[in-house]
Amino acid sequence: MQAKFMFGNEAIARGAFEAGVKVVAGYPGTPATEIVDHCASFPGIYAEWSSNEKHAFEVAGGACLTNQRAMAVMKHNGTNAAADYLMHINFTGVKAGLVLISADDPGGLSSQCEEDTRILIHTYAHLPMFDPANVQEAYQMTKLAFDLSEKTELVFAIRPVMRINHAGGMVECQGSITAGKPPEFVPDRSRFVMSAVVEKEYGGELRPKMRHRWLNNKQAELKAIMEESPFNWIDSSEGDIGFVGCGIGYAFLKEAEKIYGQSLPIMKLGTLPIPEKKTLEFLKGLKKVVIFEEIEPVVERLVKQLCFENKISLDILGRESFLPKEGELSTNLVLTAVQAVFAGKDYPAPAQGKYIPARTRTQCGGCSHRGLLFAMKEVVRKNGGVVTGDIGCHDAGTFEPMKLQATIYCMGSSIPMAYGIQKAGFDKPVYALIGDSTFFHNGLTGLASAIFNKANITVVIGYNSTTAMTGFQPHAASTNNLMSKDVKPINPGELAAAMGAKVFWCNPYNVEDTIRVITEATQEEGVKVVVAEALCYLKFGREGKISYQPVPVAVDIDVCNGCGICIRTFGCPAITLVADKARIDESACNKCGVCIHVCKRGAIK
Amino acid sequence: MKFDLVIAGVGGQGNILATQVIAQCAIDAGLNVANTETKGAAQRGGSVTSHLRISDETIFSPLVPHGQADILLGLEPLEAFRHIALLSSNGKYIINTAPVPTILSNIKIDTYPSQEQLLADIQQRNLTGYFINATQEAKNIGDALLVNVVMLGAFSKVSNIVGDNVLLAKLLSLVDERYHQADKLAFECGRRLIRLEG
Ligand code: SF4
Ligand code: SF4
Ligand code: SF4
Repeated sequence: MQAKFMFGNEAIARGAFEAGVKVVAGYPGTPATEIVDHCASFPGIYAEWSSNEKHAFEVAGGACLTNQRAMAVMKHNGTNAAADYLMHINFTGVKAGLVLISADDPGGLSSQCEEDTRILIHTYAHLPMFDPANVQEAYQMTKLAFDLSEKTELVFAIRPVMRINHAGGMVECQGSITAGKPPEFVPDRSRFVMSAVVEKEYGGELRPKMRHRWLNNKQAELKAIMEESPFNWIDSSEGDIGFVGCGIGYAFLKEAEKIYGQSLPIMKLGTLPIPEKKTLEFLKGLKKVVIFEEIEPVVERLVKQLCFENKISLDILGRESFLPKEGELSTNLVLTAVQAVFAGKDYPAPAQGKYIPARTRTQCGGCSHRGLLFAMKEVVRKNGGVVTGDIGCHDAGTFEPMKLQATIYCMGSSIPMAYGIQKAGFDKPVYALIGDSTFFHNGLTGLASAIFNKANITVVIGYNSTTAMTGFQPHAASTNNLMSKDVKPINPGELAAAMGAKVFWCNPYNVEDTIRVITEATQEEGVKVVVAEALCYLKFGREGKISYQPVPVAVDIDVCNGCGICIRTFGCPAITLVADKARIDESACNKCGVCIHVCKRGAIK
Repeated sequence: MKFDLVIAGVGGQGNILATQVIAQCAIDAGLNVANTETKGAAQRGGSVTSHLRISDETIFSPLVPHGQADILLGLEPLEAFRHIALLSSNGKYIINTAPVPTILSNIKIDTYPSQEQLLADIQQRNLTGYFINATQEAKNIGDALLVNVVMLGAFSKVSNIVGDNVLLAKLLSLVDERYHQADKLAFECGRRLIRLEG
């Protein structure tokens, strides 16, 4: 078949489709998001956005026990949210093939943190993983992972990195599609009931210990599979300094080799566990080996362990001992390392570059969050309160010029952190600001905890009806899902009221009203929820739906004294200071009118 | 044969469309193509950088290594400067001189470098290329959003990796017919600007 240009996420979806996947569930997260959307476009696949990654994994788990191939899709820190299920399904094993996609973001280009999920999935949960070196491999690995998962009865995971998910390359597809089996659920309680029960057949051993042994015993089978895997190989060459490229590390290594202009002994690794025999064969005769892998020294430590066990002594260099310990690999990083190692030098300290003015993120012109952030800022400016933040477009409110939220951690942490601050004795009002998608992801349980524990906080929910940050995926408060255009949204405010919170409503485009409502809510005792309801401008504006009356705005330059408050504290991208007067760029302004409230002189009309 | 291109700009400037047009032409010509983009989240106004690699051999990395780009197409001068180290010493830059200030420079936390400063910093590196005010030309044609098309026209004049007619035809095939007239004008204008410079 002829090669086709595809992005990594499309290639992964294609591989899953050809492998006969029937159920795909995920929660949006850069860089993995588009995989689920692509899957939804193939015939015969049920695809969904679940409320969070744990639930996505559980949906896929249920499907695989029903003899249907299934896939769960998430980004790295999403896998943390799914870690609980991960640490059970690894012990039970699967029935039909189950593939977990956990996309890493080396350098944290689009993430809250830089973490390596190989540690969670392989080192911790002892599950096999593939680490693709290019888009073609991402496709092949996905396809093969389903077969291997079924054969070994284990979840197979794939760890693509940003430069795979969001990279386009030529992909040759096999085209053949694996036929599915009829759905069938046969209970097998000795496997699929994880509990501390006595196993009579195993001499009275407890089930958790018995399943642990089962998983441990699987490792030999996995090692044998990886020994034969098409994703590991050796590019032999002369010399006693060898190089190992893991996943995309191999791509950078091969580029660096070209620029270096001399062929190098290279081993390409794409699997965990690593192929031990092949690795030993590669290491034979080497004095030094440098290992290039994204983020943490996972393979490096395995190679060290392998050498220790086999009483082999050589210098093993990598992320742990030689290369920069943080950040993304690149061809230049690898090239620098190759040059340094041949010169017998340390990896050079990175030169401090000259700062080039950064382009920070903000909300779109016309975004409802800006009015909400501004209103909350007005409230806490007066009462000295603290705002804990959460993930979503509104999180840019923590940067200049808004600088509102004082914390951003992980999905849903705003609410428990807020009442932790209050319970610790902070004597001014505490606010948690959370979006609707995040509220359903992991905010609900935090809210329940706050109400049950008699917290005294104000939770503000930015209810814009979409998961805007990752590209407008629907969630439980949307009117559609991936398979259906007609869904009754679960209103987060009604839900909070049913849980016992005092609920207030406002439209954040109406800044004065929003300030009044939040102030009013603050004065009440207990857990208050303010629902700031207005559609995401960027998504719904295109569909002709906006939550404000558009008003033409302009700066009256006779009234404007150039104080810059509208710019320094507000930051709508449409407003700039030109010749010491504010100016609204008509082509960038979406006429939401929020800035009218910002200028105390009344220069914006 | 290998050809590495970096397109650096700001969200909303049509960076991705420009990359797609060139990539599609190369794919049609039976070449290998690899590409990746670095962009912020859904919000507008962040940096957007596309790397496009074209070769008749295997391409390993989707990212253009430092000092390897044959052309740096800068849709915005600061963004071009941010990525100038990617350009090969034999490469050529084509830079739109019209600045898009950053948020931090608007609130005076950062200083957006003056045009003279930026251009001097770029020239100091002993690189060759072209500075054109594509934004002004696009506005003259009637729409600032045509910047990417003016830049594509300029690109077609500087590089022969794909024929200019092929490039224009591909562009037109990807956009709505009612924009064709303006796109043709903008493309021609980009080509003309390079002729004047050269
Ligand atoms: S995408 Fe929607 S929610 Fe996000 S900043 Fe833009 S308008 Fe606001
Ligand atoms: S518009 Fe108002 S807030 Fe903005 S600079 Fe002028 S006077 Fe100051
Ligand atoms: S300039 Fe004012 S009216 Fe226009 S988008 Fe920005 S805040 Fe809204």
